[in-house]
Amino acid sequence: MASQTLEIKRSSASMWGTSTGIRSLPTVAKYVDTSTCIGCKACEAACQEWNDLKRVPTSQDGSYQTMPELQADFWNLIKFNETEVDGELNWLMRKDQCMHCAEPGCLAACPAPGAIVQYANGIVDVNPDSCIGCGYCATGCPFDVPKFHAKTGKMAKCTLCVDRAEVGLEPACVKACPTGCLSYGSKDDMVALGILRVKQLKDAGFKDAMLYDPQGVGGTSVVTVLKYNRPELYSLPADPHVPWGVKVWKQVVRPLGVIAGFLTIFAAFGHYTKYGPKEPPSDEGRAA
Amino acid sequence: MTNGWVDIKNADVILAMGGNPAENHPVGFKWFMEARRGRNAKIVAVDPRFTRTAAVADMYAPIRPGTDIAFLLGIIRYAIETGRYHGDYVKIHTNAPYVVSDKFTFNDGLFSGFDDKTHSYAKDTWAYDGDPAKGGAYLVDSTLQHPRSVFQLLKQHVARYTPETVERICGTPKDKYLKVCEIVTSTGNAQRVGTITYALGWTQHSTGVQIIRAGAMLQLLLGNVGRPGGGVNAFRGHSNIQGATDTAGNTEILPGYLKTPTGTQPTLADYYTASIPLTLNKQAWPSMNYWQNYPKFMVSMLKSLYGNASTKDNDWGYGWLPKIDGNYSWMYIYDDMYRGSSMRAGGKEPGPEGFITFGMNPVGLGPNSKKMIAALSKLKWMVVVENSEIETATFWKAPSEYGGASPAQIPTEVFMLPAANFAEKDGTFTNSARWLQWKWKALDPPGQAKADQEIVSRIFLAVQALYKKEGGALPDAVLNVSWAYTNPVNPDLGEVLKEMNGKALADLKDPKDPTKVVKTAGQQIDGFGQLMDDGTTSCGNWLHSGVYTEAGNNAQRRNNADPTGLGMFHNWAFSWPANRRVMYNRASADADGKPWDATRVGIKWNGEKWVGDVPDMKPDAPPGTFGAFIMLPEGVGRLFSAALADGPFPEHYEAVEAPAPNLLHPKVTSNPTALKFASDKDSIGTADKFPIVCTTYRLTEHFHYWTKHQQAGVLNELSPGFFVEIPEGLAGEKGIANGSKVKVSSARGSIEGTAMVTKRLPALNIDGKRIWQIGFPIHWGYAAAEGHTGPLANFLTASVGDPNTWTPEYKAFLVTLEKA
Amino acid sequence: MTTVNDAQPAVITARHNDNVVVGDEIVRHRRATRLMHWCVALTFFIALFSGMPIWSPLFAWMAALVGGMNVARIIHPYAGSLFFIASVVQFFHWLADMRFRDDEKGAWKPSRLMAYMRWEENPSDDQGKFNPGQKVFFFSVCLGALGLLVSGIIMWFPLYFPPLVRELGILLHDITFIFFLVGIITHIYLGTAAEPGTFRSMTRGTVSRRWARLHHPGWFRDVTNKKE
Repeated sequence: MASQTLEIKRSSASMWGTSTGIRSLPTVAKYVDTSTCIGCKACEAACQEWNDLKRVPTSQDGSYQTMPELQADFWNLIKFNETEVDGELNWLMRKDQCMHCAEPGCLAACPAPGAIVQYANGIVDVNPDSCIGCGYCATGCPFDVPKFHAKTGKMAKCTLCVDRAEVGLEPACVKACPTGCLSYGSKDDMVALGILRVKQLKDAGFKDAMLYDPQGVGGTSVVTVLKYNRPELYSLPADPHVPWGVKVWKQVVRPLGVIAGFLTIFAAFGHYTKYGPKEPPSDEGRAA
Repeated sequence: MTNGWVDIKNADVILAMGGNPAENHPVGFKWFMEARRGRNAKIVAVDPRFTRTAAVADMYAPIRPGTDIAFLLGIIRYAIETGRYHGDYVKIHTNAPYVVSDKFTFNDGLFSGFDDKTHSYAKDTWAYDGDPAKGGAYLVDSTLQHPRSVFQLLKQHVARYTPETVERICGTPKDKYLKVCEIVTSTGNAQRVGTITYALGWTQHSTGVQIIRAGAMLQLLLGNVGRPGGGVNAFRGHSNIQGATDTAGNTEILPGYLKTPTGTQPTLADYYTASIPLTLNKQAWPSMNYWQNYPKFMVSMLKSLYGNASTKDNDWGYGWLPKIDGNYSWMYIYDDMYRGSSMRAGGKEPGPEGFITFGMNPVGLGPNSKKMIAALSKLKWMVVVENSEIETATFWKAPSEYGGASPAQIPTEVFMLPAANFAEKDGTFTNSARWLQWKWKALDPPGQAKADQEIVSRIFLAVQALYKKEGGALPDAVLNVSWAYTNPVNPDLGEVLKEMNGKALADLKDPKDPTKVVKTAGQQIDGFGQLMDDGTTSCGNWLHSGVYTEAGNNAQRRNNADPTGLGMFHNWAFSWPANRRVMYNRASADADGKPWDATRVGIKWNGEKWVGDVPDMKPDAPPGTFGAFIMLPEGVGRLFSAALADGPFPEHYEAVEAPAPNLLHPKVTSNPTALKFASDKDSIGTADKFPIVCTTYRLTEHFHYWTKHQQAGVLNELSPGFFVEIPEGLAGEKGIANGSKVKVSSARGSIEGTAMVTKRLPALNIDGKRIWQIGFPIHWGYAAAEGHTGPLANFLTASVGDPNTWTPEYKAFLVTLEKA
Repeated sequence: MTTVNDAQPAVITARHNDNVVVGDEIVRHRRATRLMHWCVALTFFIALFSGMPIWSPLFAWMAALVGGMNVARIIHPYAGSLFFIASVVQFFHWLADMRFRDDEKGAWKPSRLMAYMRWEENPSDDQGKFNPGQKVFFFSVCLGALGLLVSGIIMWFPLYFPPLVRELGILLHDITFIFFLVGIITHIYLGTAAEPGTFRSMTRGTVSRRWARLHHPGWFRDVTNKKE
C-alpha cells in the first residue's frame, strides 16, 4: 500500500529515504487502552473491510480469539489472555497489529531496496512491488508481525491505514472502536493521553500501570496502556529490540564482509604489483 | 431506560448486573468508559461468568444464575442497616412513609392472599392503611418509624438477607459481596449518583420482573431514580425492540401502553373504570395521576384508527376494537398450537390452525424448540415473513431427534414472504434510551422482497376487500379502519409517523385563553398535552406525540448541541415522552425544587417554572404541588407495590430448575406463581439427574439468529462456531480437553459443541456444596449459510416463565455434561 | 621438439585421462574434473550474483544480471542447492587427492602461507599434485558449502524455525559467505594472474612441464617417470 504523497524518511536496503527535509509532518500514533478494550473485534472487521482483505477461514478451537496469530490477510487481531494476577482473574484483551517502530527491525532486516519504508509521519509500510518475500523482516520484527501470503510470498501487515492517514483520516480500526479505547493523533498527543490514563489507573489502584512505548525499538507508533507492568501478560515482549543477530549481521558482519571482500581484491592487486606473477623459470635454464 | 445511553457518563457508580453490556451493547458501552474517564466512575460487574464487561470493570463478583433477588435484597439490607441510603429522597419521593394494611403478611415464602389452586394471589391485602374513597386519608408516617410503614416492613423483609445468607444462596464470597455493597451504596446520598444497567440476564427468569423491581427499589432507596447519572436502565436487544413495545408489540397493550380491552368491558366507560387509577393521597402530596388523561389518549387513538367512522355516538368505535379473552402471549400460543386447544374466557376452544410469523423466529428463539417444532407441525398453514430462510421457515428440516420429518408427514403448508432488511427500508429505530431516530433506506431490497409496511398493507387491503365483497363476522371492525395513505399499498413511513404524532381535527383553543387558537384543523399537534377526548384530535400513539410536529420530522433531527453539558442533546432525534431525556426527573430535585447535586441538574425550579431537561411535571407547578412520579396514583415511587402478580416485595425464589433447595423456605422453592405448562413435552429436570447449572447468552460477534445466514461478511469468521464454556475444574473432572467435542443434555434434549475450557466460570460454593455452572451462546441453528450451522441452544431450555411478562426462563436451567 | 596441435584427435583423447604427458604438456585435469569444477563455479556464481544484491544494496546492480531482485530471490536458493550438490560430487571426486601427507601438516600456518605468498618458499621436491594450500581451500569449500546449505535452508523457510535459529542462520550464512568471498578472490587471483599457466589447467586441462616442475615437482616427477 505504497503512499503516493507521503515523503519517505527511511527505506529498506537504501542509504537514505527520499525525504527532502523541507516538509514537516508530525509522527502519528495509535493509542490503545487495554484497560477499556472489551475485545468486541469491531477493529478486526473494520480492518478487513477497509483493506479489502479476503475472508480467512477460521474454526472454533476453544477461544474467543479469532485465530492464533496475525496472518497475511488478517492484520488486526485482538489477543485474549486469561490470567491470574495477585490472585484475581483477569481477561486481558489487546489489539495486536504492526507497532510501527521508530527503529523498525523489519526495515533494518529487509534486503530489498524500498520494500519496507518509513514515511515522514512514522508509518512503516510494505511496498509489494519491491518485496521479494525473503522473510528477513519476520526475523527482524520483535513483535512477530510480518506474515507471508502463501501464494505470492509477499509480506503483508497493518499499514496504519496510510491511505487514510495521508488524507487526514484516522485508521479504520480507530474509526470503528466503540468504547474509545483506540485513539489516533500525533505521537506526542497520544503519549500525553496515555500518561494521563496511566495516572488515572494508578489512582484507581493499579500501582504499576504503564504506558508501553518500548524504547528498545526507538518507541512505537502504537502506544499501549497496560494495567500491569508485565507486557508478557498481554502477549507483548517485555523489552523488544531489533534482534541482536540482525544487528550484528547488518551493522558488523556485513560491513566487515564488504570490506574484507574489497581488501582481498586490493591485496591481490598489491601482491601482483609487489611480487608479480610466479613464473616458472625458462626451460632453457633447466634443460641440459 | 429511565435515563439514556449518553447519561451513563454522568454516573459515579455503574452496577452492570443481569446483562453483559460490553458484549451485547458495545457501542453504548462507550458511555461506561466515558464515565470512568471523565468521573473515575466505578464499574461493578455481577455475573455468573467473568464476562467481557467484567474484564474492564473495576470489580467483579460471581453469582449463581437465578439468585439476583437475594443479591439485591442483601444490598438493600446493607443500605438500611448502615444508613447508606438517601433519607431525604426516600421521605419525599417514595412510598416508604406509607402505612400498610395489617392484613398484609408474609410467611414461609408466601405473601398473604395466595390461592393454592390457581397458583395466584388475591391482592386485596396488599394495600395501604386508610381508605380515601371513604374520605379518610392514607396513613403516612414521615419519620418512617411506624412499624407497619413500608420502610419498616421492607427492613423486616430484607433482614434475612445477611451477607452470610447471600453467600450461601448466591455463592458470592462474603468479602466480595460486602465490597459490592459498599461501592453501590456509596451513592445513597445527594452528592453521588449511581446507575444500574441490566438486560435479559434479569428479564429471562421465572422471577424476572421481581428482579428488576428489586433493582428499582434499591435505586429509589439510594435516591438515584430521576437523577442524571442514575436510573434503572434496561438495554434492549434489538435496534427497535423498544419501538415495538411502544407500538403494541405485546397482546396485552395497545399503542402507548394503553391496556387491551377485555370482554368484560363492553363500553368505553367500563374500560375507563377498569383502566384509570384513582388518585391516591391527595392530602399529603397530591399526584398528577397522569393516567387521568386516559380518555384523551384513547379517543384520539380511536380517531386515528377509524377516522370519520369514529363518532361520539358509536363510542368512538370502541366496540370494533378486539377484546382479549385469554392469554395470547407467545408461550401460550405455541402451547395451544401443540395441544390443539386454547383456554379462553368462554371456555375451551380449538387451538390455532394458522400462524403468521413476522420478523420473528420462534423455533430458534422460543424455549424448548422441540415442542415448538412439534407445535408448528400441527398447523394447517403458516406464513413466514423474513429476510432469510430461518429455522421456523424450514422447521421440518430440524434433526430428526428434534422433530424434523419428511414434508409428506407434515400437514402444514408454509408460505415464505421475503422481507426487506433494515437497511433496505426507511423509518425509525427507537433505541433503549427511548429516542426515535429516523433512518434512511440505503439500498433496494433484493428480488421480490418487500418492505414490512407494504406486506402488511397488501394483506390488510386484500382482507378488507374480501369483507367488502363477502361480508363475514363483524365486518365493521375491518371495513371501518381508516387507511387514508397517499399510497395505501405501500404507505410512506413519514406519513405513518405523522399519523402516530397526531393532528388537530378541528381548531384547538388555548385552555388558558379560549380566544386563542393553538392549532387550526389539520395541523400536526405539538405533543400529547394538546390531545382531546371530544374527537377533535387524532393520535396513533400518544407516547410518541411530538415526533412529527409542524416543525417537521423530529426523528430526523441531528443537532448535537448540548447546553446542559450532561449529554441530553434535546435537538437530536426525539425522545418519548415529550422529548424528555431523563424520566421522573422531578426526583432530581429536593422538596424545594433545588437539585440534589448542582453539577448534575435534572430540572430545577427557578421561581416560575421548571428548567433544565423537559420536566416530568407540570412545567409551572411549584414544588410541593405534585409528587415526582406523575404516572402513579400515589405520586411517589413504590417500594411496596400491588402491581405485580407475585408479591408486593421481591423475594428470593429459586429457578424452576434449581440445583439447590430454597434456603429461606424449602417448602416454597421456586416462584409459586411461575408460568408452567403441562404438556408431555414440558419435562422439568431435577438436580439429582442434572446437577450442573446452565445459562445462555449472546456474543458481540453475532446478531441473534441472523448473522449465521451471512455468506459474505466477516462475522462468521470472527466467531466461527457453537461452543460450550466449561470451568477448568469441571473439565478436569470429566477429562474434557479444550477444543474437544462435548455433549450437554437437559430434560428436554441434548446438543453437542466445542468445549471452551476457561477460568472465567468459577465453581460456586452453595451452602457448603460445590456447584458447577456452564453456559453457551444462542446464535446457531440448523438453518444457516454453508459451514455455519450449529445446534439451537433452545433445544435445552424449558417453557417456564415469569408470571407478569410470560418471559421464558432461559438464564437458569439444569443440565449434564459429557464428552461427545 | 615437436609441436602438438591441440586439435589433433589423439591429443583430445589423450586428455581424457589426467596425470599423463601429452606431447609437450601434462594433463592436469581431465575433462570430467574440469566439467565438475565449472559446474561448481557456475552454480556458485549464479548463487553469488543472485545472493549479493540481497546481501547488500552495494551490489544491487548484480540483480540486473539475473533479472531483478524478485528473480534473484527465487533462483538464489535453487542455485545454492545446486552448488551444494555439485560440491558434494566434487568432494568425493577429489577426496582421495586431497588427503594431507604427514609432512604437509602445518603447511597452512600463517607464517608458512605468507612466506609462500612472498614467493619465498618454493615447494619441496616431493610436492604432489595438490599442495597444502589447495587442500585447505578444498576442505574449506566443502565445509563452507555445508554451512551455506544448512543456514540457507533456515533462511529459505524462515517461518518453520524459531527466531533465534533464524538469526543464527543468517549470521552463519553471512560469515561463511565472507570467508568464501575472501577465499574465492584469492583462488581466482592465484589461479590466473598470480601464477600464470594455472588457469589453462582448468580450461584445456593441461599445464606446461615448466609449470608442473615449479609448482608440483613431486607430481611432475611421478607423471613424467610414469611416461618414461
